[in-house]
Amino acid sequence: MTNNDFDAIVIGSGISGGWAAKELCEKNMKVLMLDRGRMVEHGTDYITEGKGPWELAYRGNLPAAEVDRDHVMSKWGGAGQTSQTHFFNNDRLNPIDFENSKPFRWVRPNQVGGKSLIWGRVALRWSHIDFEANKRDGNGIAWPIDYQELAPWYSYVEKFAGIAGSKEGLPQLPDGEFQRPHPMNAAELWVKERLEKAVPGRKLISTRTANMTEDKPEQGRTRCQDRNMCGRGCSFGAYFSTQAVTLPAARKTGNLTLMSDQVVTNLEYDPATKRVTGVRVVDANTKLAHVYRSRIVFLCASAMASNQILLNSRLPGSDRSFADSSGVLGHYIMDHCFRTNVWGTVQDPALEPLIAYGRRPNGVYIPRFRNLNGQDPDADFVRGYGMQGAAERAPAEPVGFGAAMKEAMRKYGPWIIKFTAFAECLPYKDNTLSLNPNKLDRFGVPLAVFNVTFRDNEMKMMRDAALQGEAMLKAAGLVDVASDNEEHVPGDAIHEMGGACMGEDPRASVVNRWSQAHDAANLFVTDGSQMASTSCVNPSMTFMALTARAADHAVKLAKAGAI
Amino acid sequence: MLFDRRGLLARAGMILASEIAAPLARALAAEAAPGFSATEVQFTPDQRALVSAVSERIIPTTDTPGAIAAGVPAFIEMMLADSYAPGDRDDFMNKLGMVEGYARIRYAKAFVALSPDEQDQVLTLAMQGGISMLGEEFFVHCRQLVVLGYYTSEIGCKQERVYLPVPGRYDGKYPYADVRRVFAL
Repeated sequence: MTNNDFDAIVIGSGISGGWAAKELCEKNMKVLMLDRGRMVEHGTDYITEGKGPWELAYRGNLPAAEVDRDHVMSKWGGAGQTSQTHFFNNDRLNPIDFENSKPFRWVRPNQVGGKSLIWGRVALRWSHIDFEANKRDGNGIAWPIDYQELAPWYSYVEKFAGIAGSKEGLPQLPDGEFQRPHPMNAAELWVKERLEKAVPGRKLISTRTANMTEDKPEQGRTRCQDRNMCGRGCSFGAYFSTQAVTLPAARKTGNLTLMSDQVVTNLEYDPATKRVTGVRVVDANTKLAHVYRSRIVFLCASAMASNQILLNSRLPGSDRSFADSSGVLGHYIMDHCFRTNVWGTVQDPALEPLIAYGRRPNGVYIPRFRNLNGQDPDADFVRGYGMQGAAERAPAEPVGFGAAMKEAMRKYGPWIIKFTAFAECLPYKDNTLSLNPNKLDRFGVPLAVFNVTFRDNEMKMMRDAALQGEAMLKAAGLVDVASDNEEHVPGDAIHEMGGACMGEDPRASVVNRWSQAHDAANLFVTDGSQMASTSCVNPSMTFMALTARAADHAVKLAKAGAI
Repeated sequence: MLFDRRGLLARAGMILASEIAAPLARALAAEAAPGFSATEVQFTPDQRALVSAVSERIIPTTDTPGAIAAGVPAFIEMMLADSYAPGDRDDFMNKLGMVEGYARIRYAKAFVALSPDEQDQVLTLAMQGGISMLGEEFFVHCRQLVVLGYYTSEIGCKQERVYLPVPGRYDGKYPYADVRRVFAL
């Protein structure tokens, strides 16, 4: 320990990094948490919070020229909205590369807290079906853990984060430790009643979300106020973010050192001891390099950035990564396939007098219903998809002009419910992230090269979602039912995963069942890069659970003198 | 929320609630041709007066303030200057000039000097595609700019619509009869 600056270094301060810092600090480790982005303090740095449209730059819409110049990828996460542009990466200053021009949208944040400030907050557990999928259909690397192993860790992180949801008893979407759910609106309840009757096995539930419906006074957090301005930061601390939840907990221990503007370029490694010996950073402002040393390293830089850092961490005298003895580092890059939409109108005079008061932070969810008990006979694909949606009434359209138009626009249009399908993406070994040794970024790091495509199975699921979606809405009695497809581009769902996949066999995977690198016992990779498959549900709760579990294991190993 | 991912267009769509004119869509969706750079455009005083007059007829002062009080003309000037591609901006200004030209031929007066009824007749004709060389879509485009500017203004949000900065609860079965207005986004 004598040569170490810290007991542990956590690289990244997003959803995973925040949890790693909290857990390690609370177990009395001296922790350094590094983030490449600038500092954002809870509350005081939420500069657009609570502002009306008239108070936002350009009334909320960043000019096209600026978006095209600086946010060609991050615009897909919302960087074009001036209410939150400051929470996104400048893509011009942080370029990436593509193999054979295959597109990838890497939507990155640029601040302490990472994407925890701007995430969609959908908070779902994976099920046993998800963890067994690779083994069952032979795609990708079999998961070495099962749902039962992770279940207590889901409970642990859910209780602290504060998750609102309803218990449904569904095997494909396990219940958790929930606060009461956010309410559904009149049209959603109307659809739920008819849909669940018309299509056996189909469920429509309030989307489980990390926006609290009950206060947590012990954490200084207040329940959601239904502003739906989450992406600007929330001073109430109503939704889970590093700033509101894990950072205060880590700071309270007195064990945390947090440094912003520190770009990790690579890890230093000693092949003799098979340990990571240092974390090399370049200061984003001064461009000065420094190496920090610790006994344990948690890599939580975000799925794609963690791959980039690992690939750039070479064995001495080699261009091979120390973490790639398996040869699969940077392989099996995945993202959910989405942007197939279905919608319909709820036409019932009983709903006409009703509108929505307040702006809910969530919507409704249709849990996976395909291939739940083995292969559905009519499914030409493996695995499945879920659907996220909401019913809303838009203000009436302008017709004509003048006083009559203005008066007519005081009314609402019809109740329309709309869903977007999110499909599981199979782990393809040749969907890769590699480095371009001939192009370095401004910190001297080789550019990440993306070579990722969706394939037949994903496209078949998108088609099935449109067909099934239209059929179920018609069966439920909606009118003007339709669907459409937008371009499906990997990265766009911002659920990118894989590359440093978990597996039992060190010859075929990068981390073991404890998220611990096969090639370095003191390195834990606990963000999305460790995922060996994607499920079809949103992944953040699983990152949290795996991170808390890995931290617990790492400290036990350290105390036993094993690492 | 589902529609957040869609970003700008979705939000503008919620305000406009209709198909968005292509130049405005380009400005909002950031798909302008590369090389576009924002430049300062200043309306001439006559152009500013014309835009003000047209805006006010589209959303006039009634029991709540109209477009001029809400700052819509300045909003349109800002959008054209900072967000529109140069070609779209020039096209818009040219077509606005055709509305002015029609007023001068038909009434031998500037649009701003016409009575409100006469102004409405000109705009109605523009809406119906009755002004030569000026398609119906110009009126729709113009109306979208006015609608977007008005309903994102403080007056539009707080006086014409009902603004809830901190609702504190969600009620998805709220009686419209209790408010008889639209809640601002």
